[in-house]
Amino acid sequence: MVSSPPSPTATGAMPAIHGNNSNSSHSSSSSSNSGGGPPPILKSSPPVRILPSQLARIYSLAHPAAVLLGFAVRFPQLVNDPVSEMLNALPLLAASQVVFAIICLPPAGGSFDNNTPGSSSGATSSSTSSSSSSSNIILRPGRPARRKGGSGGSGGAGAGVGGGVLGGLGGKVIPSLLALILTTLLATPVLAILLVLFGAPFTTHHAQTALCAAHMALLTAVPLVYVHGVDGAVWKEVWGAGRPADAVWGAALGTCVGAWLGAVPIPLDWDRPWQAFPITILAGAYLGFATGTLLGRTKWVYGKRLRFTEEGELTDKKME
Amino acid sequence: MAAVSGVSAILIANVLIPLAIAIFSSGFFPYKPLVSGLAECEDSEQNVKPPFDKVIFMVVDALRSDFVYSNASGFAFTQSLIRSGAALPFTAHASSPTVTMPRLKAMTTGSTPSFLDVIFNIAESDTSTTLAFQDTWLAQLRARGDRLVMYGDDTWLKLFPGMFDRADGTTSFYVSDFTEVDHNVTRHVPNELLQDDWSAFIMHFLGLDHIGHKLGPRSSHMFKKQREMDSVIGELYASIERGGHLQSTLLVLCGDHGMNDAGNHGGSSSGETSPALLFISPLFKTMGGARHQAPIDIPDDFQCYKTVDQTDIVPTLAGLLGFPIPLNNLGVFIPDLLDVWHLYSQRTKVLLANAKQLLRRLEHSFPDHKIAADQLPGRCTTEPLTSMHEAQCAWLQVMTLIKNPISSEDQDELEPALSRFLSSAQEVLTNAASDYNLRQLLLGIGAMALAVLLLLPNAYKQLSISMHSGAFLAGLIVCYGGMMFASSYVEEEHQFWNWTFSAWTFLLHVKAASRRSCASSEQLPISNGPFSSSILAHYATLALFATHRILRRWNQTGQKFAAEPDIAHNFFPTNLYILWPLVIVTYADICVHLSHSYHSSKLWRLICIAVTATAFLFKLGSVVSDFPELLGTTHIGTLKRAFNRVPLILLSRIVFVGLLLLILVTIYNRKKTWKKEPFMSGMHTSVMHEALTLLLITQSRTTNIPLFLIFRLQAVTFASMNLSGIELTITSLLMQYMTFFASGGSNAISSVDLSNAYNGIDHYSVFFVGLLTFVGNWAGPIWWASAARHLRYRQTWKEKEAHMTTLTFHIATSSLCVMVACMTLRAHLFIWTVFSPKYLYMMAWAVMGHLGVNLLGEFS
Repeated sequence: MVSSPPSPTATGAMPAIHGNNSNSSHSSSSSSNSGGGPPPILKSSPPVRILPSQLARIYSLAHPAAVLLGFAVRFPQLVNDPVSEMLNALPLLAASQVVFAIICLPPAGGSFDNNTPGSSSGATSSSTSSSSSSSNIILRPGRPARRKGGSGGSGGAGAGVGGGVLGGLGGKVIPSLLALILTTLLATPVLAILLVLFGAPFTTHHAQTALCAAHMALLTAVPLVYVHGVDGAVWKEVWGAGRPADAVWGAALGTCVGAWLGAVPIPLDWDRPWQAFPITILAGAYLGFATGTLLGRTKWVYGKRLRFTEEGELTDKKME
Repeated sequence: MAAVSGVSAILIANVLIPLAIAIFSSGFFPYKPLVSGLAECEDSEQNVKPPFDKVIFMVVDALRSDFVYSNASGFAFTQSLIRSGAALPFTAHASSPTVTMPRLKAMTTGSTPSFLDVIFNIAESDTSTTLAFQDTWLAQLRARGDRLVMYGDDTWLKLFPGMFDRADGTTSFYVSDFTEVDHNVTRHVPNELLQDDWSAFIMHFLGLDHIGHKLGPRSSHMFKKQREMDSVIGELYASIERGGHLQSTLLVLCGDHGMNDAGNHGGSSSGETSPALLFISPLFKTMGGARHQAPIDIPDDFQCYKTVDQTDIVPTLAGLLGFPIPLNNLGVFIPDLLDVWHLYSQRTKVLLANAKQLLRRLEHSFPDHKIAADQLPGRCTTEPLTSMHEAQCAWLQVMTLIKNPISSEDQDELEPALSRFLSSAQEVLTNAASDYNLRQLLLGIGAMALAVLLLLPNAYKQLSISMHSGAFLAGLIVCYGGMMFASSYVEEEHQFWNWTFSAWTFLLHVKAASRRSCASSEQLPISNGPFSSSILAHYATLALFATHRILRRWNQTGQKFAAEPDIAHNFFPTNLYILWPLVIVTYADICVHLSHSYHSSKLWRLICIAVTATAFLFKLGSVVSDFPELLGTTHIGTLKRAFNRVPLILLSRIVFVGLLLLILVTIYNRKKTWKKEPFMSGMHTSVMHEALTLLLITQSRTTNIPLFLIFRLQAVTFASMNLSGIELTITSLLMQYMTFFASGGSNAISSVDLSNAYNGIDHYSVFFVGLLTFVGNWAGPIWWASAARHLRYRQTWKEKEAHMTTLTFHIATSSLCVMVACMTLRAHLFIWTVFSPKYLYMMAWAVMGHLGVNLLGEFS
């Protein structure tokens, strides 16, 4: 239901640009659909590396610091009037996130197709087919994923072959546009619902919750969508919080964990204005974003997954 | 330590836990015996002529010392009285808890109510919180046939039922009312001043306190209110000066407590504990002694003029009005007022009466010490070591001075000796009332630490086996323990459990997601249950999140957000058509489960239906009599008529007996036909569990009854998730605490729900009322302890042992932390309002919740 608006725009836009490749993607997806049975192991995209250019390396460090600094500078205004400040900061945050993504991150379909050009299209299309069969909220944009996966593969191939034909700005504008659209239409409502489920006010503070969710969505979803497009396997991993750690997933998880930790000072009886509802959550989210972005790239964490399996499970299975 | 095996460690720890609590409690809540009866006149006291025969006792709620004495005060006339010597100003130290009722007790009995007193006040029903049977200065006046009148705060009427000849009480319920509450008192003043039948005229003005609560001590309303109070003083003083029947009337102006900078009170900050106290009479002008300045600069600690204890009011009034000092008094006659007697012998007689009374009190409190006996003449030559020793020596000196023939020099010595005895005796007695036995506190902490250490190796083993859950639980225990040292987090403990529970649900979600991806790769079915359960398993965490969010909003508790609207207090009363169907569905659900869980005969089903229906009727009947607002105006009339003749006690007894019958029949037939059958996707139920649910519902507030539907949904969800042993333990722990707060519990004594404490009993009985209160307030935790047992039905003894180790370890560490917090923070502002209540709740959790429910449930 929620996903229906973006799908026509995506389907409408994609063939216009990558018209020549849309056929192949269609055929691959339909073949896997007819095949029915999913492959034995889900293969999703590997962790993302920051682009190798000098600018990307520097800016990827500067960006989280700048976002945090901006938040700190505007903090008094946020305390004074959270709603209007959050609203006013949205375009700036969106712009800076998009700039960050464009400068530092490989656009959807760009990076990992270079690593494994042959298997990637099959993997993505099969994963989307499985995702469309399982009705998960986030995985619903299954159809655009199919296009995207196909076109991404083609984009990679194009970049490999033609070099500068599509690899320039065009290949980055579409993912960033997609990122912004999906962030607004999908990630913000989902995060708002999650905020409420985690204890945000339900009957009051609607504007605060929505804006807080919008900020968190910009911090989490823009890089994720930019990098992974609507790759169902990736989003399934995101839903299960099982992505391998990298700067992008680190930022997303960091934002959410930070927001969760941000609730800690609220019960204190200090009667400070900054203890009001979304402020500490948002501060936690921003801090978590910066920490997660930087931490996700470090060699100790990079590529590791949040797993929640344990010894007890084995005995459980034996008993069954 | 590691040599202790698992079972014996659990056993020893669970013996140590109640032991440690008992030892700690005896040190933390010292027993303070009260003397019953009424003090009677002694011969020697009768020839002291009392200078006053009437008293006007004017209490201004929250009258902090600076409100009267400062430059910015509105009490201009009163200050002129201070300057002229007609008013003697003091600061009367009010001990914590600085709320009206305990303060009134202190000002009338002369004793400081202990914390336990405060608890018993709340725990007892409203009518029994009286001082009707205690010795107070009001009772003394009444005993000699005097009449008393009272206007103002109706706390007085509750404390002294039937004591006043004329009274008009005002409730302090509407805090936003600044004028009406006081007008209701002042309008009686002119009339009462004309009457000559009373000998005590008590007024209690609430407006100043209301302004404080609402606007703080610096509000502009405060000055106006002070002027208003000052004009009352002026009116009273003028009529006293006029003579007539009021010519020997003492006017006392005092606050019951002060207020802090925010205008609130209850704690022990200097602002809260420093109310003003003034004795006013034209007679005092004739006394010698230094005149006081007024207004004065207010010191930071609000100690203006001389600081006396609030309890000193009682013996002072007794001396000035000439009645025996109430038996439980700890106060000392205020020496500045001795000057009203010009004769030296009369002054010493007044002090001697006070001394004898305190001596009796000392002997009653410390039966081991022979104070009056002349045992230690030699030891008194050295410097006294303790205040007890000093009291003994001072009394010895008094006795020698009295026994020996009185010379003029001795007379000069007697009064200081008496004063010395009085002050040291007061010190001993007040310390006995409020001081802690540090040795026992440490002993209790030591015993609890031993329990923790005993369990530590086993608990560590359990937690380290299962990495993630173990780390989660360890983090939870550490955070929870640390939280006990922060007053805000103790007050808002429910936030912690909600916060942790959402994290736990998230972890379960991650686990389920990763397991699903593994399962799909291995082509394994997720669960062996029916189709519905696999769907449930898929959305299990979402269901948990959603239901938890509803539970969270069911009852707002704590301190900070307690007033926010919630489901039980705001949504249901206005949406009765949602409440009652849910309640009926809950009862029907239990009835269905009861009758299905044991499938033998129609008779069984009939009994089940009958018991459930009776339980529902009882609930309906109690709502009709106690909470008619939950029934709407249309039906209340007919229902009232219908339930008019039905004895509710009988109904509830039928329910209890019926439940007992069901359980007994099940136990009797267990071996014959009892089969455990998976009911609803793996959640096994039993007659025991369903009967327990019905009992818990009977003991719950009506608005909380639908909670049990949600509980069942959650339990079924958990059952579909194939949780491991440690996960079930954590789930059980989280659900127990979370639901306790969701059903309205908090760490404040005031949140104890007593509405179901008397179900089925017609008289007060500590055991039954206590048990029913516990069952009612811990309904959620008890239900989840039972549900978790059913979730763990497959567990081996080894796993059960791990479960018990973990739970015992948690309760031992949290108890240890509460104890350490109470000991180290015993001088904290919130010790009586936050930490001590938490300790009491912790006792209930440990002794009843842990030992009584969790552990006993394992063996039943």
